Amino acid sequence: MSAKVGVLIYPGTNSEDETLKLLHDVGVDARLVHWSEAATLPNYDAYVLPGGFAHEDRIRAGAIAAHDRMTDSVIEGAQKGKLVFGLCNGAQIVLEAGLVPGTGPVRRPTAAFTRNSPNGKFICRHVHVRLAIDPQRCAITAALPKDSLIPAWAAHGEGRLAATDAHLKEIASGGHLAFVYAHADGSVDDRAVPNGSALGAAALTNREGNVLAIMPHPERDAWGFNHPDRARGTDMLAPSGGVALFESFAKALK
Amino acid sequence: MQPYRRTRPLPKNFEVIAKSEHEIRSAASAAGLALRVDELRRIADHLGRNPTLVEAYAFDAQWSEHCSYKSSRHHLKNLPTTGPTVVVGPGEDAGIVHLGEWKGERYGVVVAHESHNHPSQVVPFEGAATGVGGIVRDVLCMGAQVVAIADPLRFGRVEDADSHQRYIATSVVDGIAAYGNAIGVPNIAGDVYFDGQFDNNCLVNVVALGVINESEIIHSAAPPGSEGWDIVLVGKATDASGFGGAAFSSLALDAQDAEANKSAVQVPDPFLKNVIMRASYRVFEYLREHKITAGFKDLGAGGIMGCTAEICSSGGYGAVIDLDDVSTSQENLPPAVIAIGETQERLTWIVPPGVTSEILRIYNQEFSLPQIARGACATVIGCVSKAKRYVMRTGDEIVMDVDIDFLTGTIRDELPFKELAASDTPEPSAIDRLRADHPAEVLTKILAHRDVCSRAPLYKQYDGVVRGCTVLERGAADAGVIAPVRGTPLGMAVSVAGNPRYGKIDARRAAEHAVLEAVCKVVAVGATPIGLTDCLNFGNPKKEDQYSELVAAVDGLGRGARALGVPFVSGNVSLYNEAAAGNAIPASPIVACIGALADISNVITPAFKGSGYALYYVDAGANHNNGGSVLAEVLGIQLSYLPPIDFDVAAAQLTALRAAMDAGLIRACKAVGNGGAVSTIVQMAFAAGKNGKRFGARVERSRKFSTLDEGGGFIVEVASREAFESFIPTVAAHHIGAVTGDALLIVNDQRFNIDDLHASWSAPLAEVYA
Amino acid sequence: MKTSALAIRLKIPDNEAFTALGALQRLEIGVTRLERADVWVFQAEDAHAGALLSAVRRNETLFNPNKHELAELEANRPRAGEVWIEELGEDPGLRARLGGKMIPGVRSAKRYVAWRLFGSDNAAVDPATARAAAEALLCNPAIERAIL
Repeated sequence: MSAKVGVLIYPGTNSEDETLKLLHDVGVDARLVHWSEAATLPNYDAYVLPGGFAHEDRIRAGAIAAHDRMTDSVIEGAQKGKLVFGLCNGAQIVLEAGLVPGTGPVRRPTAAFTRNSPNGKFICRHVHVRLAIDPQRCAITAALPKDSLIPAWAAHGEGRLAATDAHLKEIASGGHLAFVYAHADGSVDDRAVPNGSALGAAALTNREGNVLAIMPHPERDAWGFNHPDRARGTDMLAPSGGVALFESFAKALK
Repeated sequence: MQPYRRTRPLPKNFEVIAKSEHEIRSAASAAGLALRVDELRRIADHLGRNPTLVEAYAFDAQWSEHCSYKSSRHHLKNLPTTGPTVVVGPGEDAGIVHLGEWKGERYGVVVAHESHNHPSQVVPFEGAATGVGGIVRDVLCMGAQVVAIADPLRFGRVEDADSHQRYIATSVVDGIAAYGNAIGVPNIAGDVYFDGQFDNNCLVNVVALGVINESEIIHSAAPPGSEGWDIVLVGKATDASGFGGAAFSSLALDAQDAEANKSAVQVPDPFLKNVIMRASYRVFEYLREHKITAGFKDLGAGGIMGCTAEICSSGGYGAVIDLDDVSTSQENLPPAVIAIGETQERLTWIVPPGVTSEILRIYNQEFSLPQIARGACATVIGCVSKAKRYVMRTGDEIVMDVDIDFLTGTIRDELPFKELAASDTPEPSAIDRLRADHPAEVLTKILAHRDVCSRAPLYKQYDGVVRGCTVLERGAADAGVIAPVRGTPLGMAVSVAGNPRYGKIDARRAAEHAVLEAVCKVVAVGATPIGLTDCLNFGNPKKEDQYSELVAAVDGLGRGARALGVPFVSGNVSLYNEAAAGNAIPASPIVACIGALADISNVITPAFKGSGYALYYVDAGANHNNGGSVLAEVLGIQLSYLPPIDFDVAAAQLTALRAAMDAGLIRACKAVGNGGAVSTIVQMAFAAGKNGKRFGARVERSRKFSTLDEGGGFIVEVASREAFESFIPTVAAHHIGAVTGDALLIVNDQRFNIDDLHASWSAPLAEVYA
Repeated sequence: MKTSALAIRLKIPDNEAFTALGALQRLEIGVTRLERADVWVFQAEDAHAGALLSAVRRNETLFNPNKHELAELEANRPRAGEVWIEELGEDPGLRARLGGKMIPGVRSAKRYVAWRLFGSDNAAVDPATARAAAEALLCNPAIERAIL
């Protein structure tokens, strides 16, 4: 029997439909789980937390959602080794819940995706992210080739990784830095980073490697029609580009 | 709900009968009523008594310019509004045009266009945000999924970092971003102009777009047979925040008014809207499954009264509303405020009593509105009545009881206007100066001009890709393109246009240009234009010269739309855009065009594709249009010459270009706009740069092709000159040069580095929106 | 040099405070009412200090009279029942929030988010409750510091 994946809808989530569609396109048995159905969450084998503004990111991005009843099940599941895949707002929630980098107690975060540098404003910009760990280090990236480069859209106001120096050191040395921002040719420098993120971080994983929190959206550059000049001459309704990470997630469920 | 019975005389009247003109005027002014004395007398005559205070405010809202279109409606009726693509024309909250068919299902695009100019001048963040919120409701209430927004903006001079105009220009963008991003609707098109004539009146127009299966449209009317059905109010708890909103928009702005109007600040809550939208989608699903016809309408100016009166009268019914059943967030709100206040984030359903409990359950339990915002909920506030009366009661008191058709019926102000002179006197010496050889730095100045330079620093604050449907995001092409119906190849394009530099010269021709430009931008991405929508932003209709501009502009819109065969399906009018000193904005007819692509695989982008490919200029009937051009401004030449558009040529050229596109001959295309043809060519090289491709171009100026002309038309890139030129008998296309592989632009003997040009083009707004 | 603390609070409904209150109550922290303000602590030259309040009032990026109210605080530290949240490290957008208008004579500006918590009798909560609210929700120690 294939793994059942719950795509969580918190009040304020806004990216559930495209996330679900892409999961279906890569063969995942996924369904939307609305906050009124929170009690059913323990029945799922893995959780995807899509983008949006859960509780409108009031106080801080992800802060209130981290205490939502839905998140109880996510934390419990993650501790049992279930896969948790947080995208953008989902990544912010996962950090606020303390699941990633997971170096402190639950709900006592040791890092945050916080207001963008330099002006604190929302940024919508096409980016690439490069796999910065051994693919096997994180279950969700395990099927990706080493150094994979994935296109995505950064679309967030609070996506800059920040933490104390000690915690940043821990993130770097503990293999938590899953993806970094990169140029289209794979090279890495400050200009490739859209938000001033520490370590150029685009995604983090936990120690066990079953939770991935990624700020940019691979699911928004995931079908041919999302990049018509690149996809010219191919089936534009077929997934391509950012789908690679979702394919790897799908393989990890098997 | 019990049928009503009058138990006490109507209370708290506004005295009109037997009062002098002067007495009525000062009483109205003291009450903050914008109704004229003759209008108040007409109401009292009709009622046969003095209106109650609630009635007076109700008519004040309903008969305001904002709600009644009393000085524009009779002109707007001359716009073409029919055609094979029209599914729902003007008259409801939004229009619907046919997008295409997929597997036997017909899909439509729901489109609405609105302004929030006056509120944005006072509280720019909240004003702009609620502008997005309001127009999104108009699309939602047709039963549609909201899939995109676009935002034409006009700001004052922003060069001074300390200026009020800079504060407005940045806060408006912050407000649009905060709202649109949170509700998860991508912003895919828009434009912005900066001009001193907008210093005291910014323009914040918003277009919202939805998709719908054409068999599932919900109308803004009480359905046939709905007598006795429940009227359900959904959304935010009513407060005093928007009271006077409608009258507010009808009053001229000055600094003191702004302070006095603070009670009219409307508070946006995009979080609540996000949840209401998704809860409403669930209700749509429920109604569909159970084959129930319902009515749905958003609350705008006029609040509960305006919405429920219009939805019931549209169905040929009346209404009885119990104000005591309205959820309020403040104690002891006066009945008039509950009835008419413009609190945001509210909608009204008309549903059969048998399904009411399920509708309430969806909003209140499943989507937990009361936990999302203080006092938010869905609740029954009244019922549809057979008697065509509009009745409101509180406790045992009837506070309003009027003929519903009199309240919502058409009213008309005949205001004087004159025929404006056409601006077609050529000024040969000025034109010669424009056409002379210019030094190389003129191109750099044009690219750095405030109306030409990159808009990215502004729109990068907007989420342009949420929903994962975006094909061409903002800035990628002349029109934004999305694939709105998931899993189908259908594509939808949207563009906006409206050049205030032209508006200053000739309102009629500015309107014609707005139509032509919007249509050309949609054609440039390979789409077929299927519908237009307009927002008419003008000054004071009571001043003959300003009103004459409105009348002329409507005429120009009609001429352009008829000639190009694209109907108007919705629109909005914003008047009184003048400062206290009497200076009005330039005539600002702003147009959006919707386009359809049967298959998004055929979308055309502006990015150059191949070194050695040929470049052509395809004219669209409006060339040699130098009055109001960026070039004229850069050279400091005053020229009030905006020649007529040859719409026969335009229509034929557009048809021929689309045929060339269908034949697969066009590799890249971009409409010529601000800054002229060479600026367009440079931006096609920039677009290729975004794809990681370094291209340049070599072009030749000639008698037939002036590189700095702003006369519309297109630059196209073709792989095969031979194949393309077989279209030449129909497409008047001038071969102007070729794409090169070296990131240089060569115009005759002048050479430019594309990277340097890109730097000049990118810099100006980056400082403003830093 | 003179230090002044100014509180800028919304006079239109504060949706954020509503949501935060609900979240604190779900966490069973004894709060019945919650107020939020931006507190700015300015160091201004003596010659300009007297005009600071009116200068801020004129800076419409900070203060829009249609939606804000402005008060000078007696001390530049939290009142009873109040928690100030300070951002560690850089404060992106500080300049943007100050607008282009540099307030005359101001040498430094620091921004805090001030949460004022009230308990069951509508009195200021005790320090333990305020600290619990900060630790559970209002402050992320990775990026912020709570001052009580």
